[in-house]
Amino acid sequence: MAISASALPHAQSEEHAHPASHGTGDHEAELRKEHLMLDPRPRGEMNAMVMDSMTTTSWKFWLVAGILAVIVAVALFGAWGYMISEGLYLSGKNRPGYWSLFLVHTVFWVGISHAGTFVSALLRVFKVEFRRPFTRAAELMTTFALAQAGIQIFAHMGRVWLAYWMFPIPNQRQLWVNFQSPLMWDFLAINTYLLSSTMYLFLPLIPDLAMARDRSTGWRKSVYRILALGFRGTEAEWTHLRIALNIFAFAILPVMFSVHTIVSWDFAVAMRPGWSSTIFGPYFVIGALQSGVAAVAMVVIAIRYTMKHMDYFIRKEHLDAIGKLMLVISMGWAYFFFNDYMIQWYGGDKFTDALLHFHEAGPGGWIWFMMLITNVAIPWLVLWNKAWRRNPAILFSVGLLINVGMWAERYIIVPVSLQINRMPFLWGQDFKPGIEVPIFIGTIAFFVLLYMLASRFIPLVPVWEVQEGQMAHSIRKYGKEPVVTVAELE
Amino acid sequence: MTEKNLLLAIFEDIDPAAHAVDKLRELGVTDTHVTVISGTPITEAMLGRKPQWSNVTRFALGGAFLGLCVGIFLAYGTPNLYPIIVGGRWIGVPPTIVVMFEMTMLVMLISTFIGVFLDSRFPNYTPTQYVPEISDGRIALLIECGGELEIAIESAMKAIGAESVKRAQAEAL
Repeated sequence: MAISASALPHAQSEEHAHPASHGTGDHEAELRKEHLMLDPRPRGEMNAMVMDSMTTTSWKFWLVAGILAVIVAVALFGAWGYMISEGLYLSGKNRPGYWSLFLVHTVFWVGISHAGTFVSALLRVFKVEFRRPFTRAAELMTTFALAQAGIQIFAHMGRVWLAYWMFPIPNQRQLWVNFQSPLMWDFLAINTYLLSSTMYLFLPLIPDLAMARDRSTGWRKSVYRILALGFRGTEAEWTHLRIALNIFAFAILPVMFSVHTIVSWDFAVAMRPGWSSTIFGPYFVIGALQSGVAAVAMVVIAIRYTMKHMDYFIRKEHLDAIGKLMLVISMGWAYFFFNDYMIQWYGGDKFTDALLHFHEAGPGGWIWFMMLITNVAIPWLVLWNKAWRRNPAILFSVGLLINVGMWAERYIIVPVSLQINRMPFLWGQDFKPGIEVPIFIGTIAFFVLLYMLASRFIPLVPVWEVQEGQMAHSIRKYGKEPVVTVAELE
Repeated sequence: MTEKNLLLAIFEDIDPAAHAVDKLRELGVTDTHVTVISGTPITEAMLGRKPQWSNVTRFALGGAFLGLCVGIFLAYGTPNLYPIIVGGRWIGVPPTIVVMFEMTMLVMLISTFIGVFLDSRFPNYTPTQYVPEISDGRIALLIECGGELEIAIESAMKAIGAESVKRAQAEAL
């Protein structure tokens, strides 16, 4: 007989749950303790928990937010403003390293942004249930990370006030943008992705904003009332929302793949050693997922341990699942890296050969080895172990190391690879980072600050999606063995 | 003319709500006069009702077509309006596919988003029939009925297990 999860007696939170009885009862109690979907609470209680997590703020929160705001003001906007007033010579841009660190950081942030959509849309398409409590946290990451990528691109431009030249609008110069340039494709793809992911973030947020509207007073109620758009939850509203979310989930995935593929084409369509590669598109996409999913793990762990009641919604089953995802993606990244390396290595082009030796034996060789250790060796050595995957400190550390490794990968692709080209008289081996470093630190602070502020205003857990999942789950007995079953509610 | 009233019946669970929909049909209230409101998506099939009509897919398809046209215009049309002479080379097809793809997806998704707004009549800040308990997991049936049926419906809903049945008041959300 199937027992609906929502019909089960109210279970206790993960930390306080105890097996109800021996044998089968033990197993059922363990299942409920392990799986959020099998441990339902009344909707009103879940709403209250999420609202409480948004409105309860300690002085430590504002202290950290204040420090981050100062870093953003000084390291990001201060340094950027200083560079605008003084000139791009403050950055590490030089001949032959024309692209320097701004492009490294652009690719880094675009990569981080990928996991939001990946986790939310792909797992929604395949109806992967563990996604439910943290899809919004992942989607927020997409929007905030893309904002940081935009800052890096604008900083790279130098004369940022001329950014409108990228828009296809007739202007006094009688020039037209070149739609055959990868930089123009970048502009279109990143803007498409930013707009799409923001809409995809907002649509499933509407029911939760309506919930927040119903449970708040004062200025919060006024804000939520406007943002909830008058949502009541009629059959028609849910139908339109459901159809739209399905369309978005399917359509935003190819957009996501296109974005990082196009970012890779910025490099791959150039006839430069190390860059001109047919596999750069998927290699960049898997790299984006590698850094992005690792960042999702870090965000999820941070939310669980810093926000009230989040230990109910985010459990070790989620860390376990994300850890497995990280391991699989790490293997995928290694495959694409080796594939790209092998073909270039066998290619016999003397400039590529010089570049590949420069990667591993040049002054930045230690960065190349660090990249392989943090992206491959550490995830493979750690994440195969279930207990380590479920350990928040270990998973957070692996996520952090993967992101360091992915930064190193982009560093090798951009400034290091620019040192060796087809004109030996233009070779250079003394790239020195400049003002990009404080600006990058500023964007990291800005990203975290935006996240912290959003956690005060936006329900980070999509409560209606969690409840929908709990309605669909049940425990069924096969013989004496209780097993989890999921119904198709749509 | 028969007087029309709006009743709001609140249920704690889906089963009594589904029974209530059947009971309302028995009492002569058609599906078009019943609106189901819930804090979690409940499909029409769960309550034995006809599927809702939605134009969102049509908006998406229309947007995709419009976006493709915009992409073709940008990639092929505008370079002729503002020519850049690059050795007399023509505009190749492969690069323009990227532009067409991005514009198709962008306009399609924007149209889908707008479609939700238009179909759901968002934003709507006028007072309407609603109770905050709905977002706490309750299921509400908003019943439009003649005055002569009001008492019968109220007692039937309570007999089925409605937490409350009351005249629906339009209130600011």
